Amino acid sequence: MSLKSWPLLLVILSLLLVANLMFGAVSISFEGILNGFQADSEHYFTVYEYRFPRTLLAMMVGAMMALAGALVQGVIRNPLASPDVLGVSHGAGLAAVTYMTLLPTSDIAWLPAVALMGGFSAAFVLWWLCGNHSSAIKLAITGVALGALYASTVDFLMLVKPLEINNALLWLTGSLWGRGWNQFFILLPWLGLIPIALWLAKSLNLISLGDDSAISLGVNTNTLRLTSLAVAVGLTASCVAICGPIGFLGLIAPHLTRKLVGGQHQILLPCTMLVGAILLLFADLVARTIDPPIELSAGIMTAIIGAPYFLWLLFKNK
Amino acid sequence: MLSFWASLFTWSSFPISAMDAIGGILSLNDQSIPEQIVRDIRLPRALLAATVGACFAAAGVVMQGLTQNPLASPAVLGVNAGAALGMAAVSTITPWFGLLGISMAAMIGGGVAWTLVMILGSAWRGGSDTGRLVLAGVAISALCAAFTKALVIMEEDQASAVLSWLAGSFANGNWETWSLFWPVALFALIGSQLLTPTLNLLQLGDDNAQNLGISLIWTKLAGSVLVLILVGSAISASGSIGFVGLLVPHMARILCGQDHRYFLPLSILMGSALVVLADTLSRGIIFPLETPAGAILALIGAPFFIYLVKKRAS
Repeated sequence: MSLKSWPLLLVILSLLLVANLMFGAVSISFEGILNGFQADSEHYFTVYEYRFPRTLLAMMVGAMMALAGALVQGVIRNPLASPDVLGVSHGAGLAAVTYMTLLPTSDIAWLPAVALMGGFSAAFVLWWLCGNHSSAIKLAITGVALGALYASTVDFLMLVKPLEINNALLWLTGSLWGRGWNQFFILLPWLGLIPIALWLAKSLNLISLGDDSAISLGVNTNTLRLTSLAVAVGLTASCVAICGPIGFLGLIAPHLTRKLVGGQHQILLPCTMLVGAILLLFADLVARTIDPPIELSAGIMTAIIGAPYFLWLLFKNK
Repeated sequence: MLSFWASLFTWSSFPISAMDAIGGILSLNDQSIPEQIVRDIRLPRALLAATVGACFAAAGVVMQGLTQNPLASPAVLGVNAGAALGMAAVSTITPWFGLLGISMAAMIGGGVAWTLVMILGSAWRGGSDTGRLVLAGVAISALCAAFTKALVIMEEDQASAVLSWLAGSFANGNWETWSLFWPVALFALIGSQLLTPTLNLLQLGDDNAQNLGISLIWTKLAGSVLVLILVGSAISASGSIGFVGLLVPHMARILCGQDHRYFLPLSILMGSALVVLADTLSRGIIFPLETPAGAILALIGAPFFIYLVKKRAS
């Protein structure tokens, strides 16, 4: 199964990539897109300056968030865990919004670093509240409550300093509205976290056997936990700094992938990145084309797909 | 408690105008401008806030009694989000229904969400896992909120006004809204007071309650209908105000113990006081602008929720 689903996922991904370039407020033909990459074409601006970076960003963000989800689920062995359920992405979002409202003239290049601090603080608060050994459901409830607290603070800041509605939605639900080459280059260095995550894959397999077995097989479980969670927080926070807390993506992508290719992390991690990219490309495509020229935000679409899935997981996890 | 409530009530009319006239205005009937402001703008608004607070608090008490779950409340279990979705759907797609249609839609939306949460959290049977119920509620809320936002973006140009309504605000409270709202609220509040002896018995556990001659199905059905009327009417009057229903019953329980017959009226009073206070803060906090009262309550309420989760575990 695992070998068969690779090409399938790649085909879906490239189809969606082309579709994302073609459809929108103005539909462009396939030849139009190919020509669009030349500077003298009439579609140059739409394709190269607007849709292409946005599509690339959607792929990167989708992949990184899904990878973060897979890491967290692997490490805490909790099917309900993911950075957004645990409140990390809303914590990062809150830090970013606070930074922007308090220092409106500052450079947005620092945003990922600020978000990273927010994400780490959120993770630390959660750990402080729950301790080392707590049940899956308690961890999820505390995370959700913390997430709600951060989100309502963001809400509050938004109402105190009203922004444009699309911008506000971006920080409340997560959206790719107006993201372009600037943000692309800000996010680019953070891709460096991906090889680290893949390098952890083998030890993650061992930890899924249980802590005792993993220790006797020579894995330092505490270091591994901390490293993986730190990488996951880094991936999430950098994405959130770019396009807001997109919900449910980090939760459902790893689950779907586990269905497709099984639980072995060397295969699971790369595939979950593909699935995450596919999901976010799809969500953004639907969000842009459902009622043009008005844009829904991608975060709304992922919630509409993801919340029922979360309910189903909860129901099954009896 | 009554005096506490009354003092907040007058104070809420204070910050912007009528700096010195405040004491006498409510009783005298002069023609001066500050007094008219108080009578036509502040008074209905404060009354509305108090009634809405009472409704949410009572709904929280009934829900916590029915589910035997200390974390239950309209906002946590998805009723608020469902009602808001119902309202948003009616007011954007079929705006000609008017206020009555909107409150009906809020009740239906809330009812559907509540039923889904109860089924998915398997809470109709006793002794179910409380955490599962809450997570089901949170997920349903997320789903409803996503649909609501989608509707708002697609159908409305004044999205920021709607967003502030979703956060819950009393800025548009006037006599007309209040006169439509209070009979329904009063009816439902009396109804929930009548239910209190039964809620006391439910505390003994479903089996014992049944042995003492209570029909579980009818009790839960009646309780749910009351909750829907309370929440639906309150939301259509003011928008979604979170955390009152969660916070207030716990505060009241600390003050007067577990007997629902005393504990419900106390919750109602404290709910009114809390929401009036939040509304006052919402006007005062950044002076010329209004912050939705719901946002302020969420800022107070969410840490309390976390504290409850932490306390329950240890």
